[in-house]
Amino acid sequence: MRMAQHRHGALARRAEAARTVGGGAGFAGDRVDPAVALAASGLCDAVVLECLAERTLVPGLRARRANAEAGADPRLRRRLTPLLGPARDSGCRVISNLGAANPAAAARAIAALARQLGLAGLRVAAVLGDDVLAHAGEIEWSEPIEGTLLGAHAYLGADALAPAVDAGAEVIVTGRTADSALFAAELVPMLDGSEDALAGALAVGHLLECGGQVSGGNFEGPDGESLSAAAFASLGYPLATARPDGSAELFLLDGAPGRLDRLTCTLQLLYEVHDPARYITPDLVVDMTGMRIEETARNRVRVSGARARGRPAMLKVSGFVERPGMIADVEIGFAGTRAEARARVAADVLRLRLADLPEEDVRIDLVGIDSIIGGARPGNAGLRECRVHVSARCPDAEAAQAVEDEVYALTLSGPAGGAGIRSERRPRLDVVDGLIDRALVGSSVVWETVR
Amino acid sequence: MRVGELAVGRSGDKGATLDLTLVARDEASYERLARAMTAETARRALDGVCPGTVTRYEVPGLLALKFVVAGALPGGVYATLHAGMHWQKAAIWALLDAEID
Repeated sequence: MRMAQHRHGALARRAEAARTVGGGAGFAGDRVDPAVALAASGLCDAVVLECLAERTLVPGLRARRANAEAGADPRLRRRLTPLLGPARDSGCRVISNLGAANPAAAARAIAALARQLGLAGLRVAAVLGDDVLAHAGEIEWSEPIEGTLLGAHAYLGADALAPAVDAGAEVIVTGRTADSALFAAELVPMLDGSEDALAGALAVGHLLECGGQVSGGNFEGPDGESLSAAAFASLGYPLATARPDGSAELFLLDGAPGRLDRLTCTLQLLYEVHDPARYITPDLVVDMTGMRIEETARNRVRVSGARARGRPAMLKVSGFVERPGMIADVEIGFAGTRAEARARVAADVLRLRLADLPEEDVRIDLVGIDSIIGGARPGNAGLRECRVHVSARCPDAEAAQAVEDEVYALTLSGPAGGAGIRSERRPRLDVVDGLIDRALVGSSVVWETVR
Repeated sequence: MRVGELAVGRSGDKGATLDLTLVARDEASYERLARAMTAETARRALDGVCPGTVTRYEVPGLLALKFVVAGALPGGVYATLHAGMHWQKAAIWALLDAEID
């Protein structure tokens, strides 16, 4: 009851001239506290938690195979325990794709958690329909599927969340959904109904979907400047107040550390969109080329000018292909005087010892020198520590063990002082894109109400 | 001059495609970058890092250039033989550290 009064009260006061959404998380493992701060601020109509990167579904699919009630984000409880109370108190909806491979089970888990938290009457909606594995044969894959197709999930749009928003869900949990759509879904009822306004809402969603990445995280200015460690440690996550025409103001909570300006916002606006004139989302193709990003105050920008370029006939699908074998990823370190020289010798030893493996299946490099983007850069000389890295695609565990053993054998039969060895084995998992006729993708909403 | 003195940048990815963005610090820097950072310049800078077909997009209104590299991440970022996960988040430094006239 209290929540309903807040929500209707807040919306009535604003006469739907604006809605405010917060970006409370940008990936499954993101910080928990920013979303709580956004919800507790009382400024947000919704806080959105984006928690499902391309591959994040895979552990969920594996878990669901073993247990039909599993498959949601295992962080659900940790993330929502501190959030649900403050969100309800301030009339702030929580929207998240942390349903991962099992949004219906996630809704049940959220209802159970809410009951423990004493949130009687809380209405939780799960949005279903992204799992299109049953239609695998009708998907146009960008490349042949070589291996076992573990799952195929279509990206749902804001339209799939609309029934849950319209019916007043206090928590909406989904599986694979376009990240921007999670935000746009909250804004749609306030928009003027034009396609350009929806394009604007999707652009706003895209700006917010990576949380702190728009407000100074993962950012270094052109003069090398970045935030202090203390600011990164308590980085403010972004909010946007959108208007009926789809324009918006992005900002940070008062006193929240961060940097939100033309540079940080433009980087995030164009992040991973490929062609900026045709950013394809399930609801609309968004043209960002005419957009404007204006700094209106410290840590506050106005964003406008998105244009709609039609509704795509096909929806994007991510397929996960499990391939036989695994990747063995092994490292050994060297320290002290001539560390780098000894590491180089060790790398050469491994090249000789692993010469039988196909060249394209092995990578040997030096961590600290050339393991990330290759090529020694000025300033790398005279390392006091240096690590040799080898990764190899291996047909089975025995072959992976043999690669690991070659690295361990360096401790007795390689350059002096090989130390700090670590190794991991990763399953071979390819992400393959596809397209599916949207007519084949139906979405539905199921409800859980806390007694 | 180093590209990183004219612009900020970020790497992203979707499937096998690497997606790089540069945003210039001002209009003069954008003009200079847009002239010098052709798709071919970017391809050369990325050649030893992750070869692929480079498509360049200009967004003059936002003082931004995008370089989309198809096939740069075969099998997606999880299939890589690089050490650990998500090496591609540093790939933008191949462009930021490129020298242009």
